[in-house]
Amino acid sequence: MDRFLAVVVHEYKKVVLKWSFLVGTLLLPVLAGVFAFVPAIIFSLKGEPTRIALIDRSGTVAPRLKDNLSAEKRAERARTAAREAAVNITPSQEEQLKMASAQMVDSFIFTDIDPAGRSIEDMRSELTTRITADEFDAYLIIPPDVNDTAAVYEFRSRKGADFVTNDSLRDALNSAVRSQRLAEANISEERLASIGRAVKLDAKGLDDRGGEKDTTGLMIASFVIGLMIYITLAIYGQAIMGAVVEEKETRISEILFSSARPFTLLFGKLVGVGLAGLTQLSIWIVSAAALLAFLALQTDLSQLVGAVPSISPLMILYFLIFFLIGYFIYASIFALIGSVVTSLQEGGQFAFPPVMLLLAAFYFSIAVIRDPNSSLSFWVSIAPFFAPITMPIRILAETPPFWEIALSIGINVLAIAGLVWLASRVYRVGMLMYGKRATLPEIWKWIRYV
Amino acid sequence: MNQEQATLRAEGVTKRYGDFTAVDDLSFEVKPGRIFGFLGPNGAGKTTTIRMIVGITFPDEGHISLFGEHITTETQGRIGYLPEERGLYKKMKVVDQLKYFAALKGVSGRESEKRIDFWLERMQLTEWKKKKTTDLSKGMQQKIQFIATVLHDPDLLILDEPFSGLDPVNVEFLIDVISEFRTGEKTIIFSTHLMETAERLCSDILLINKSQKVLFGSLREIKESYGQNLIAFRGEGAGAILEDRSTIERVVTHADEQELHLAEGVDAQDLLKRMITSGVVISKFEKTEPSLNDIFIDRVKGGENSHG
Repeated sequence: MDRFLAVVVHEYKKVVLKWSFLVGTLLLPVLAGVFAFVPAIIFSLKGEPTRIALIDRSGTVAPRLKDNLSAEKRAERARTAAREAAVNITPSQEEQLKMASAQMVDSFIFTDIDPAGRSIEDMRSELTTRITADEFDAYLIIPPDVNDTAAVYEFRSRKGADFVTNDSLRDALNSAVRSQRLAEANISEERLASIGRAVKLDAKGLDDRGGEKDTTGLMIASFVIGLMIYITLAIYGQAIMGAVVEEKETRISEILFSSARPFTLLFGKLVGVGLAGLTQLSIWIVSAAALLAFLALQTDLSQLVGAVPSISPLMILYFLIFFLIGYFIYASIFALIGSVVTSLQEGGQFAFPPVMLLLAAFYFSIAVIRDPNSSLSFWVSIAPFFAPITMPIRILAETPPFWEIALSIGINVLAIAGLVWLASRVYRVGMLMYGKRATLPEIWKWIRYV
Repeated sequence: MNQEQATLRAEGVTKRYGDFTAVDDLSFEVKPGRIFGFLGPNGAGKTTTIRMIVGITFPDEGHISLFGEHITTETQGRIGYLPEERGLYKKMKVVDQLKYFAALKGVSGRESEKRIDFWLERMQLTEWKKKKTTDLSKGMQQKIQFIATVLHDPDLLILDEPFSGLDPVNVEFLIDVISEFRTGEKTIIFSTHLMETAERLCSDILLINKSQKVLFGSLREIKESYGQNLIAFRGEGAGAILEDRSTIERVVTHADEQELHLAEGVDAQDLLKRMITSGVVISKFEKTEPSLNDIFIDRVKGGENSHG
C-alpha cells in the first residue's frame, strides 16, 4: 500500500508540476475569456468617422439613408440584435460582427454634392481627386431611378476593405431604397413587415414527465460535453503512454520492478495521472463557473439562462463516473501500447486504434443527441469504449432508466478490470524487452506467461 | 544474522522462454558477509538469474530463498539492485528521483532526506542535488543510480556491471565505497566481465556459461585447484627445454614474459635445476596462480585457446 501511494504521488506530481500542465490548465480558461471578450472590445472601439461625398441623382434616397444611419436608429437596431443574439448561446462570428458594427454609432459624415448639370464621369474624376487630397474617405453615387433593379449604386472608398463600414452602409442603403420603392408603390412599411414576417416554429422537447425543454441549448451542451470528454481522454491517455515509454526508454523499469509489483506500478500510474486529470478538469469547471458568473453580472442573461439545459448534481456525478470509466479504459490501452513500443514516436504511430475508437464514440454521440431513445443509442451507451462519451450525452439529452445506467457502469467496470489485467500482463514483460517492438504473437505469449 | 544460514540459496533453478532455456538447473549459495562474483559471458543467463533473485521474474522449476524465506515484496525491500540496464528520469531533479526510489523501498520523510544528503556527500555530488539528469555527466548518473540502490540500507546488494561507463578514477572510488559497505555484514553479489576487478573484490565466485553452472566455490580454492603447475618465466637460451612437451605442456607468450604450463607430475624445482645446468640465463622464474581471466577463458572457451 505504501508503495502504491508512493507511485500515485510520484505520477501525480510528475504531471501537475510540469510547465505544460500549468500552461494548459491556465491557458484554456484565458483563451476562452479572450475569445468571449476580445471581439466585443475591438469592435466597440469607435473608428474614425467615414466622410462620404454623396451624389443623390434620385433626390429621394439621401434623406432616408441619413436617417437610417442616425444615432437613434442605430442604437435601436443594436438593442434588437443583442436581444436576438442572447437567445443563441453561441452567436456565430458573423452575428458577433453585425452586433458589434451596429454599435458603432455616429461613424458616417455625409456631404451632399450637387452635380449641377455636370456629367457623371466629370464628377467621378473630381471626387477621386478630392478623396486623394484627403477631403473625403469615399463617395457614393445613387442612380436616378430607384425602381430600376439593374441600376448600380457606386461606392468607392479608400478604406475598401473596411467590411464593417461597407456592411453598415449596405444595410442602411438597402433599407432606404426599399422604403422609397414602397412609398412610391403606396405600400406602408408596417404592412409589408407584417406580411413578410417569418413564422415562429416553437421547437421544444418533451421530457418523460411532460415538461418542456429547449432542444437547441441541449444540443450545444451535449456537443460541448462530448468534445470535452473526448479531448481529455485523448490527452491523458497519451500522457500515460508517454510516462510508460519514458520508463522503458530510460531503463528505469528494471529498478522499479525490483521494488514493487508491476501491477502496483501500473495501477499507481493510472490513478496518479487520473487524479492529475481530475485536478485539471475541476480547475476548468470552477473557472467556467466563474466566467459565467462574471458574464451574468455584466449583462442581463435571463434569456440565456433559460436556454442552458438544467444539469442536476446527480448528472454531474454520472459525468464524473463515466469520465473515470473512460479514463481507465483508454489509459490502460495506451499503457499497453506504451509497454510494447520502443520510443514515443513509435507509440504515436500505434496510438491510432484507441484514437479511432474515441472518435467513433464521439460520432455515435451525434446519433445519440438526435434520438436518445433509439436502439442504437441504447447499445452504444452500454458498450465499452463508447459508453464513456455516449452515456453522459444520453443522460443529458434524455436520462434513461436507472437500470440502463447501472448496466452500462457494470459492463464498463468489467471491461476496465479486463483491460487493466491485460495491460499489466503485457507491461510486466514488455517493459524489460529492449531494442525492438513486439509482434502480436509475442504479445500473446507475454499475456500467457505465468 | 545467523552465520550458518545462507543469504541466498538457489536449488535446481530453471527458466525457459519458449524453446529457449535461459537458466538450466542452477544451484548455488551465497554466504552472508561475502562479496560474491557472478561471472559469465554475455548471454550466459546472468541477468535472467538476477531478475529471479530480485523478484522480477520467477523460476519455472527449482526454488530460490532469500534470508531463508520465499521471495516476496518483503525480501525485495531488503535487496538493493543496480541493474545493468539502468536509467534515471530525464527531466527530474536528482533529489526528487532519489526520494521516489527510496519511497518505493519504504523509506520516506525526514529519514529519506537525511540519507540522500549523506550519500550525495559521500559520492561528492552534493552540489548536483537540485540539478536535472540531463545536466549530469554519464559518470555522475552512474553514481546517482548507485545511491538509489543503497538508500534503503539493504542487506543484500546486487550490482550488475556496476563499473561500465565509469572512468578509472571513479571505478576506484566506487570500489572503495563497495568495500566500505561490506564491512557492515552486508552481502554483495557482483556481476561483471572485468576479471581483474572480480579478482580483487570477490571472495566467492559462480561462473556460468550457456545457461549452466561451470564453476562455483571460493576464489582461493578454485585458484589452487588450477594453479599447481604454472610458472611465470623470463630468460634466455631456454628454447630447447621449452619445446620439450614431456616437461612443458604449453607456453603462453606475453609481452615480456612467458607462462609455462607444466606437464602432469613435473616438479618446478626439477625444471629450475635443469635450466640452470643447461646454462639458461634466468631473470624471472616464479610459481604463480592462473588469473581469473585465464580460468574464465579456459572454462568458457574450452580447448580453443591458442598455444604459445
